[in-house]
Amino acid sequence: MKTSVFAAGLLAVTAMALPAQADKLDDIIASGTLRCAVVLDFPPMGSRDASNNPIGFDVDYCNDLAAALGVTAEIVETTFPERIPALMSGRVDVAVASTSDTLERAKTVGFSIPYYAFENAVVAREGVEMATWEDMKGKVVGATAGTYEAIWLEGKVKEWGEGEFRPYQTQADVFLALSQGQLDATVATVEVSEASGNFPGIKIVDKAPMVPDYVALITLREEYGLINYMNLFINQQVRTGRYAELYKKWVGEGEPANLTIQGVYR
Amino acid sequence: MFDTALTTNDLIFLAQGAGMTLVVTAISVFFGTILGIIFGVIRYQVGPWWAAPLTFVLDVFRSIPLLIQLVLANAFVTTVLGWRISGFTVACGVLSLYTAAYCAEIVRGGIEAVPATLRRAARSLGMTWGQDMTYVVLPLATRVALPSWIGLALGVMKDSALVYIVQVVELLKSTQILITRLQEPLFLLMICGLFYFLISFPIARLGGYLEKRWSND
Repeated sequence: MKTSVFAAGLLAVTAMALPAQADKLDDIIASGTLRCAVVLDFPPMGSRDASNNPIGFDVDYCNDLAAALGVTAEIVETTFPERIPALMSGRVDVAVASTSDTLERAKTVGFSIPYYAFENAVVAREGVEMATWEDMKGKVVGATAGTYEAIWLEGKVKEWGEGEFRPYQTQADVFLALSQGQLDATVATVEVSEASGNFPGIKIVDKAPMVPDYVALITLREEYGLINYMNLFINQQVRTGRYAELYKKWVGEGEPANLTIQGVYR
Repeated sequence: MFDTALTTNDLIFLAQGAGMTLVVTAISVFFGTILGIIFGVIRYQVGPWWAAPLTFVLDVFRSIPLLIQLVLANAFVTTVLGWRISGFTVACGVLSLYTAAYCAEIVRGGIEAVPATLRRAARSLGMTWGQDMTYVVLPLATRVALPSWIGLALGVMKDSALVYIVQVVELLKSTQILITRLQEPLFLLMICGLFYFLISFPIARLGGYLEKRWSND
């Protein structure tokens, strides 16, 4: 009698403790909606169309993820600094918001494998003989002062010991100087370069050999189930050609960035 | 001369935002007033000692900035309780309690403004407490409380701009969306202000009209 009471009590306790809380992956599937934080003032990754609906690479990526999970996507607009707080306070399930995978952030949130990488391209004036990025040697080059690409370019000019580097205030100034012939070439992110089409007489030559800015999907740090799922999802996006398709749709012609790094796992 | 990228579509988008502001305000003021009347009557009826816990809770709602209340309530509901309810529900709930906290004070002030002698007279005529409250206190207190209540309703309408934090696209948020897209902040904010004026002004006038009509003896 006593033993059975004890056993029943034990069973009740385990029954209370065991039904391990469903994890976020289960919650999302059960609720039928996937809430994604997306930054909507960052074209071509996220912006709004003429009827104010969210569009862009990240928006499509979120929709794809939701479709894979068999749920509907809800795009939650956030700013860059608000992405992680929105995640921590439970306003969103994941952030598909071009988040660079820094080690500092990884202390707070959980990263998937990279789903996109921002690369830099060499843009030259038409009529300047250039085939690869190394042809910038000896030319007059320039970039927006203080940016990552400007620091890299200035370093290269010093290293080559010939040519000239000119800093400019804004990206538009750089492209203007380029199309007016004050510059021979510049370096800018591929996304910006693709959008430079409204300046006449300039063209993308080559990708610059800089370390790309890898961006990943984020969710809560302890949600391994969801992170696992997202990793596989990103793999499938590349495998099925959807990654290249989205790149073509939002960024432009050409090869999307390679998401693997030579010589290391993940 | 003057050139803008604003289209009719965008104006409709703003009008939808204004509609959301009105809906959130209407729901919050409605439930907030009902709760406020209940809390106000309780506070007056049970005396300062017994009402202390209630007073404290209402003070909390009045002293914590609405923005923080919304963020905390939303985080509590979604992460601690694990409910998947919409931001709209959270916004209406928080704003109702916020309204109730202020409304309770207005109601208490209104009841206190009814002369105690008059109420004693009513009771000595054999009226029950309910009859006293309905036929004596209610008409007199309403006249006293109305201007503050209209002010509260207008305040809540403007405070409702903060519910964007829980993903409710109301008037100010829709204006911000357009500002991001069109890059015409001053012009768009002027239009937003005009929308707020258009929905606030009739309420303010209605309040003025009622005040005038009811104060005629």
